[in-house]
Amino acid sequence: MVDLALKMLLDDKGRFFVTVLGVGFAVALVLIQVGLFFGLLENASITIEKLDAELWVMARNTANVDFGNPFPETYVQRVRSIPGVARADNLIVWYAVVALPTGAKESVIYYALEDFGRWAFPWNVLEGSTADLRRGRFVMLDESAERRFGPFAVGDTREFQGLSLKIIGKTRDARSFTTNPMAFIDYQLAQRLSPEELGDQTTFIIVKLEPWADPRTVRAEIQRRLPYNDVHTQAEWTSISRRYWIESTGLGLTIFLTVSLGALVGVVIVAQTLYASTTEHLAEFGTIKALGERDIDVCGLIAEQAMFAAALGFALGLVLTFGLDPLLVQLDMKMSVTRGMAALVFVATQVLCLSASIVSFRKVRSLDPAIVFRG
Amino acid sequence: MTVLEACDVTKTYREGPHEVEVLRGVSLSLSRGEVVALEGPSGSGKTTLLCILGCLLGAGGGRLTIEGREVDVRRPGRLWSIRRRSIGFVFQQYNLFPSLTAMENVVYSLNIRGWRGARARREAERVVDAVGLSHRRNFRPRDLSGGQKQRVAIARALAGAAPMILADEPTGNLDSDSGAQVLELFRSLARQENRALLIVTHDPAVRSIADRVVAIRDGFVIPLES
Repeated sequence: MVDLALKMLLDDKGRFFVTVLGVGFAVALVLIQVGLFFGLLENASITIEKLDAELWVMARNTANVDFGNPFPETYVQRVRSIPGVARADNLIVWYAVVALPTGAKESVIYYALEDFGRWAFPWNVLEGSTADLRRGRFVMLDESAERRFGPFAVGDTREFQGLSLKIIGKTRDARSFTTNPMAFIDYQLAQRLSPEELGDQTTFIIVKLEPWADPRTVRAEIQRRLPYNDVHTQAEWTSISRRYWIESTGLGLTIFLTVSLGALVGVVIVAQTLYASTTEHLAEFGTIKALGERDIDVCGLIAEQAMFAAALGFALGLVLTFGLDPLLVQLDMKMSVTRGMAALVFVATQVLCLSASIVSFRKVRSLDPAIVFRG
Repeated sequence: MTVLEACDVTKTYREGPHEVEVLRGVSLSLSRGEVVALEGPSGSGKTTLLCILGCLLGAGGGRLTIEGREVDVRRPGRLWSIRRRSIGFVFQQYNLFPSLTAMENVVYSLNIRGWRGARARREAERVVDAVGLSHRRNFRPRDLSGGQKQRVAIARALAGAAPMILADEPTGNLDSDSGAQVLELFRSLARQENRALLIVTHDPAVRSIADRVVAIRDGFVIPLES
């Protein structure tokens, strides 16, 4: 088979290059924006997903995991006594002000448990042991804190809420949506850092169930025993925490607008190029029709051109996106582009480029094949 | 054997408030191996008739039979299959695809006719060789002379065994030598391959190769002496 569509498209290499470049930039814009968006959202719920807790108990209407509200820590006893609960512990998530050696002050978000080891949390420890946290005024910091705190090493001390804490370990990948550095400290030490808010208080109870337990039954029983608290499954709490940031920051709308803009730019470029190309090749399309092709076959040629430009543009966009990744890492930005997302963007690129061909379809459909005899 | 038979074909165009009757009842037949020249002054309806006979344009009335099958002349949108199966075209402007080589131009038209792969390639080689362009098979139209382009167009029309070839001023863009060669080629190939050939022309030289000469006068086709 002679592939006239591609030969026609590649005949004007300059125009084809501009088309692919335009689609590529549009795809890269969409992938990078959506990738950054999902990277941020992963940060918004990464601790929920990494903590192996099936149920989370919290103060009523808590908005997201970063903004816990205190409630009596003794509630955990009521949860522990419910059949089907294998383990239930208090978890404090709170903010502290850290005085830096430079004299500047920064805030940090800290996670406090009595026994980190039991929850395999934090999940990526580079240096030190979480077992040592309960031995005194110790803290583990995520390495990403260096961007805010400057360089630090195990053995250094930093002042948290006026209390000098020794850094005994480093973690990796523990980041919050707010970009506040993440720290891990002993539960009782956390209460000492903010005694007014956290004295005898916790902000969450995390619950691990027995393998045989029915989560719905256990959840209903917790809710019955703690009527003024909320109880969420891990999936629900992930969704709530993410949705909070999407809705409260307008991030969702911003991303929607950016993605729409990217898509629009791509569509306009492809539509403009294909239409110009179709107009230039009208005599050829007329000849094709005169030789016996149906309208649908001629539209198929244009569709093939659009899909080819879309595929190459997508490939270029992917290269641009992943080429930019090392720079984003240096800037401490996380971009999450999954295979599923890439596949979705590929399909969307194809669909949009095909949509961009509609004007050209109309042009060739209305083309009278008798044009071939009109010189 | 009659390939095409047109009886009382009419065509009227609307120009503003007026109706212009271009064809008033054209009757014409074409047989295999026959070369017919169609003459007429500008605006007489030659091209309109060619479009109708080529199933590119609907007629107002009359009957058209191609290879024994009656054509619905009022629904030109559905005539693509007849064009694909039964008609080869040669245009004054050649209408070759500039992005394809001479061979590819021919193979592409064969692909439209349903020929694929090695079969299409062999047929394309046969007709390209028959028009004397075996040494220019892989040249693009921009690298060919006017005469060579028209030979490629003829090869394209011949490829795939369409029984009827309609040519519109095939020598119109050629110098007299090239035109004469193309006409001679046309005549010999039409005979060898037993195709019916209708040539619309102003060129008096076409008369010398035609078996019959007809002309359009006042919306009717009348025979002339060749």
